[in-house]
Amino acid sequence: MAEDIQQKLEKYRTAPFDARFPNQNQTRNCWQNYVDFYRCQKALDAKGVDTAPCDWYKRVYKSLCPLSWIEKWDTQREDGTFPGKI
Amino acid sequence: MAHQAHAYHMVDPSPWPLTGAIAALLMTSGLAIWFHFHSTTLMTLGLILLLLTMYQWWRDIIREGTFQGHHTPPVQKGLRYGMILFITSEVFFFLGFFWAFYHSSLAPTPELGGCWPPTGITPLDPFEVPLLNTAVLLASGVTVTWAHHSIMEGERKQAIQSLALTILLGFYFTALQAMEYYEAPFTIADGVYGSTFFVATGFHGLHVIIGSTFLAVCLLRQIQYHFTSEHHFGFEAAAWYWHFVDVVWLFLYVSIYWWGS
Repeated sequence: MAEDIQQKLEKYRTAPFDARFPNQNQTRNCWQNYVDFYRCQKALDAKGVDTAPCDWYKRVYKSLCPLSWIEKWDTQREDGTFPGKI
Repeated sequence: MAHQAHAYHMVDPSPWPLTGAIAALLMTSGLAIWFHFHSTTLMTLGLILLLLTMYQWWRDIIREGTFQGHHTPPVQKGLRYGMILFITSEVFFFLGFFWAFYHSSLAPTPELGGCWPPTGITPLDPFEVPLLNTAVLLASGVTVTWAHHSIMEGERKQAIQSLALTILLGFYFTALQAMEYYEAPFTIADGVYGSTFFVATGFHGLHVIIGSTFLAVCLLRQIQYHFTSEHHFGFEAAAWYWHFVDVVWLFLYVSIYWWGS
């Protein structure tokens, strides 16, 4: 599993099985990847490093999450009312 | 047909079950009338009828048992079963609210921020007033046991003192909890956290008030020489209920106040 993130992103078709979320209800899978993307972005920006590795999380949440949820959460983040910790 | 040839109690006809049922009808329909037509008359009428029913029904039971001697050992056994079954039903009542709490807190939804306590909620510090409340109720469990032993040993004055102390501790808990409710930084309307917190602790507080009232009635009866060292089931029932209230608090404290913070 020593392929780098660029190769993984090129091979991407859809979100792979994530053993952390094995059941039918995938809400938490969507939530976790959404939150992880923005946390990753914030952390790497703070270090001044390229945020390309974060794109994995973005691909996953874009595949999994209902569009209305993404829009709602994006709006909340802009308003400063997003309930998750980023 | 001069007297009964068995030890059971064939109760005389009584109007209180009917007035109790009417009170229940008036209170429930009164609640609906209040919600839709802004009048509390019907509900208040139901409440008054309920209080009158309780007073007279239980007064009659005391007359039948303490003054007329109808509470023979088999009758008392039936009363014991009855109280135990009632308390068991109350356990199930609270079990529902604990279910609701754990359902929401074990898997917090994205709307809450995926965390518990939810984003924006500052829970009460479990090691401040809630811990004091725990100590107060545990102490009251000790004093009610002291009262029981005093009654069984014929120690009239000690029984009165320990029972009075138990009731005072109950009032102290209620007063502390009322203050906590007033000062809390969140309300019942603050999402599922507020709902589960105030419904569970609120019903518990109501049961503390009911239990304190039951104990107060026992205090009045003890002062008026109703209890003997061998036969004091009314007091035992009150003590069981009080211990139940204490145990529910312990679960509330550990689940909602401590783990839930």
